[in-house]
Amino acid sequence: MSQVAESSHASTSTGIDHKKLIMWLFLASDCMFFGTLISTHLLYRKLYPTGFTDAEGHQRFIQNLFNIELTSFSTFILLMSSFLMALAVSAMHKGQIKSFRRNVLGVIFFGLIFLGCQVYEFTHFFHQGLTIQNSVFGSTFYVLTGTHGTHVAIGVLWLILLYFYSFTGKLFGHMGALDVEVAGLYWHFVDIVWIIIFTAVYLVEYLGPSGFWGTGLPITK
Amino acid sequence: MSHDTHHAPVASKLELAPERSDLGLIRPDRSTGWADWLTTVDHKKIGIMYGAFAMLFFLVGGVEALAIRTQLARPDNDFVTARMYNQLFTMHGTTMIFLGVMPLSAAFFNFLVPLQIGARDVAFPRLNAFSLWTFVAGALVLNSSWLFEFGHLSGWFNNFDWYKSLVYTDFAPANGWFSYAPLSGTFGQANAALHAPRFTGVGTDFWIIGLQILGVASLAASFNFICTIINMRAKGMTMMRLPVFTWMTLVTSILIILAFPAITVALIELMFDRQFGANFFNPSAGGQPILWQHLFWIFGHPEVYILVLPAMGIVSEVLPTFSGKSLFGYPIIVFSGAVIGFLGFAVWSHHMFTTGLGAVPTAAFALLTMAIAVPTGVKIFNWLGTLWGGRIRFTPPMVLSLGFIWMFMCGGFSGVMHSAAPADAQQQDSYFVIAHFHYVLLGGVLLGLMSGLYFWFPKIFGRMPNASIAYIASGLVILGFNLAFGPMHYLGLAGQPRRTHTYHAGNGWETWNYVATIGAFILGIGIFLAFANLVWTVFKGEKCSNDPWDGRTLEWSLPSPVPEYNFARSPIIATRDAHFEDKHGGKKIGFENDGGDAGVHMPSQSWMPLVAGFGFLMIGIGMPLLSMGVPRAGWVVISGLGVMFLGIWLWALEGPGGYMLKTPTKTSPTPVTANTSSY
Amino acid sequence: MSHAATDHNLVTEEIRRYHHFITLALWLAAITGVEIVLIFLPVSLSIILTVLCALSAIKFFAVILWFMHLIYDHRLLFWIFVAGMGLAFATFTAVLALFAVDRIDTKWFS
Repeated sequence: MSQVAESSHASTSTGIDHKKLIMWLFLASDCMFFGTLISTHLLYRKLYPTGFTDAEGHQRFIQNLFNIELTSFSTFILLMSSFLMALAVSAMHKGQIKSFRRNVLGVIFFGLIFLGCQVYEFTHFFHQGLTIQNSVFGSTFYVLTGTHGTHVAIGVLWLILLYFYSFTGKLFGHMGALDVEVAGLYWHFVDIVWIIIFTAVYLVEYLGPSGFWGTGLPITK
Repeated sequence: MSHDTHHAPVASKLELAPERSDLGLIRPDRSTGWADWLTTVDHKKIGIMYGAFAMLFFLVGGVEALAIRTQLARPDNDFVTARMYNQLFTMHGTTMIFLGVMPLSAAFFNFLVPLQIGARDVAFPRLNAFSLWTFVAGALVLNSSWLFEFGHLSGWFNNFDWYKSLVYTDFAPANGWFSYAPLSGTFGQANAALHAPRFTGVGTDFWIIGLQILGVASLAASFNFICTIINMRAKGMTMMRLPVFTWMTLVTSILIILAFPAITVALIELMFDRQFGANFFNPSAGGQPILWQHLFWIFGHPEVYILVLPAMGIVSEVLPTFSGKSLFGYPIIVFSGAVIGFLGFAVWSHHMFTTGLGAVPTAAFALLTMAIAVPTGVKIFNWLGTLWGGRIRFTPPMVLSLGFIWMFMCGGFSGVMHSAAPADAQQQDSYFVIAHFHYVLLGGVLLGLMSGLYFWFPKIFGRMPNASIAYIASGLVILGFNLAFGPMHYLGLAGQPRRTHTYHAGNGWETWNYVATIGAFILGIGIFLAFANLVWTVFKGEKCSNDPWDGRTLEWSLPSPVPEYNFARSPIIATRDAHFEDKHGGKKIGFENDGGDAGVHMPSQSWMPLVAGFGFLMIGIGMPLLSMGVPRAGWVVISGLGVMFLGIWLWALEGPGGYMLKTPTKTSPTPVTANTSSY
Repeated sequence: MSHAATDHNLVTEEIRRYHHFITLALWLAAITGVEIVLIFLPVSLSIILTVLCALSAIKFFAVILWFMHLIYDHRLLFWIFVAGMGLAFATFTAVLALFAVDRIDTKWFS
C-alpha cells in the first residue's frame, strides 16, 4: 500500500524543504573542508615527489606501497552503496518501507566493507613502514583518508539509526522520505569525495613510469 | 505523528498541560525563570543571551587591552612579564573577535532576522539554541585557560605529579590570535610516546580546541540563518525587498560556511602535529609552516568581512531611518556587499606580503586587495547619498553610525596603504597594522554594533536608553579610540614593532605610547558607560512605544518588547520598507488569515541543545587536560563525546513537538508615536 | 494535497527514476573499470591524465545530478553546491600554484 507525499508541512518561500536546503548548504561547506585536506596532500606530493622514508631510512615509492586492486575494489563497493542508497530513497518516496529497509541494510553492509578495506589498508601500510609520524606523506595521507573514513562511519551510524527508527512506525510519508533523502545526500557526497580522492591520491601515482609527480629516481621495490 | 501539537490553542504557555516528547520525557514548555532561559528555542531570547555574553566578553577583552596599554605606557616597563604580555594580546584578540564581535553580531541576527522577514522563528529553533550553548562552551573553554594560568602563578598545582613533569608551564595561549606555526607546532622527530617536541605548552591546546568549538557554533548558526532567510520570508517579501541588514546577515553567513572549514582543517592538522606527531607543519620532517599561514588567512580574511558586514548592515538601517529617506541605491548596496564577500576569498595573501611569495603572486594579491576597496567605497557613497537632502536627527544611534562612516573610512585608507606591497614591507608587523585594524574594527565594527544596540534596544526591551549618557559615552568612545589608535600610525611608521612586551627609551616612541594609553583608558570608560547605560535600561529605562524612531522595517510594526509569537498574523508585503510605506501613505501591509483563535504554532522548548553544548564543554576542557597529562583526562574527553552524541541523538528522537498559541486578532500596526522628548 | 492522480504521477515518476538509477550504476562501475585499465596503458601522460579527469568529472556529476536528485530539484540547490565546489577548486588551485617554490622570481633582485 503506498502512501505517497502528502504535504503536512508549512510551505517554504522556495518550495524546498528546510532539511534538504540545510543539507545542501552543509555539503557546500564540506567541499571547502575536503578541498583543504586534499590540497594539503597534493601540495606535499608536489614538494616531495620521491615518496617517503620509512623508519629504517629506506626510500619508499608510493606506487609500491599502494595496493591499487584493493582500493579499486573498495571504490567500486562505495559506488554500489551509493546506488543502493538511491534505491532506498526511491523506495521511501513510493512508500515501500520493506524495500527501504532492505536497501538501507545493503548500504550499511557495503559501507562497513568499505571501512573494513580502509582499516586493512591502514594496517597494511603501517606494517609496510608508513606512519603518521615518520613522514609528511604519512601525515597527509592518513589524515585525509582517515577524515573521509570518519565521515563514512558517521554515515553508517546514521543509517543504522534510521534503519531501527523505521521499525517505530514514525518513518513514513513526505517527512519520512525527506529524512531518508537527506541521509542519502550525505551518503552520496561522501561517495563523490571518495571519487576525487581515488583519482587524485591513488590513480595519479600510477601515471607513467614514475607516477604523476615524477619521483626522479628509478622505481625499485 | 511528527507534529504532536496540543489540541487546543492556549493564550499562554503556562496554560499547557504537561506533554511528553517522543522519548517519554516531559517537554519543558511550561518552564519559567532560569529553566525557561536554558531550554528556550525562541530566537529573541537566544539573541538576548548572545548579546549579554558578548558584552561580558567585550569587557574581559577590554581589561586585557588595558593591561597591555598599561605595560606599554612607559619604556622598559615591568607591569607584566613578557610571557603574560604575549598571553594578554593573544587572548585580547581572540576574545574580541570570537567572543565579542561575532556573538554580538549573532545577537542581532538572532533577534532581528525573523522579524525583518515576517517569520515566526528561524528554520531550526533547536539548532539555534545549540549554537548558543556551544558558543558558551567554547568561550568557557578559552577563558578557563586563564584560570589554569592563575592557578599556576599562584602555585595551586605545585604538588601534582602531572604539573611537575610539564616541560612548559604556559596555560593561557600566547602565540597571537593567529597562532603561527612552527611556534604553535612541533619540531624534530616524534618520540615513542607520540609527543613530538613542541615550542609551547598547553595554552596552544586550549586555543586550538576553543576555536574548534566556537567554529562549530558559528557554522551551525550560519546554516540556520541562510535557510531561514531563503526559505521563511513572508508572502511578498522578495529578496530585493529584504532589509539590508538581513541581506548582510545572508552574505555573512555564506562567508562563514565557506571560510570556517579552512581553519577547521588547519586546527585539525595542528592538533595532529602536537598530539600525534604528524608533520604538517614540522620543518624537520619537511612540513611547511607557511601552509599554516595560507590556511589561516584563507579563513582569516573572509573572517574580517564576517566581522564588518553586519555592522555595515546596521548602518544601512540606521542612516535611512534618521535621514527620513530611503536608502540610496539599495540594489547597489546589496550587490556591493555580495562582491565584498566574494572578493574577500581572493585576497588572503595580503597578510603574507613579506613571506617571499614571489613577484607575480604578490602583485596579484595587491591588485585584488585594492579592488576590494571599490565596492566598499561604493557603499560609503551610497550612505552619503542617503544622508544628502534628508532631515537628519542626531540621535545616539545616528551619531554612532555617522562615526562609523568616518572612522571606517580612515581604517580603509590605511588598509589601501597596506595593499601596496612595497609600502607593506615597511608596515608589516609594526604598529601601523594595529592602527589599521583597530580603526576598522573599533571605529567601524564597534561603532556600528553600538549604533545597533542603541537603535534596537527600545524594540528588544521596550525601554529607551538614557540619551545624555549615551551621547557622553559615544563621545568618550570616539575620543578615546582616536587618542589610542591615531598615534599608532605614526608609531608604526617610526618603527615600533608589534607583539613586543616593551621598548627601550630613546626611539622617540615614549610620548605617543603614553598618549595611547590615556586614550585607551578613556575608551574603556566610554565603553563601560555605554554598556552600563544599556544594562540600566533593561531594568529602569523609560518605557517607550512600539516605534519611537519612526522606523522603516517590519520589526517596528510589532509591540515593544516583541510578543513571543512575533506576528499576530503573518504579513503580506508589497514593497521595500513596507512598514514605513504603510504608515506614510504608501502600499499597505496585508495580513494572512492565520493566528487569532486558531493560534500560531510554537516550537517546543528543549534541554537537548544545552546537553549537547555541555558535551562540547567537557571535550574542550578534557583535551587540554589530556595534553597536560592530568590522570584520567581521557575519560573526560570520552564522556564529553558521549554526552554530546547523547544530546544530539535524543534531540533527533524527541520530535519537534510544538503547541498552538493564541494571538490577538487586532491586526493593524500600532500607530506611529512622535519621537520621545529626549531625542 | 493528496490527490489520487498526483500520487499516481509521483509513483510513476519514481519508478522511471528507479530504472535510471540502475542504468547509471552500471555505467559508473564500467567507468571505474576503464579508469583502472587506463592508468596502465603505454600512452602519453597528459592524455591519460586528461581522460582520467574527464571520467572522474562524469562520475562526479552523474552522482550529483541523478543519485542526489539535483536534476529534478530546485535550481538553487545546484548553484549552492556549485558555489562551494567552485570556491574550493579555485582557492586550492591558487594555493597549489603559490607553492611553486622552485619558481620564486629571482630576476628582480639578485
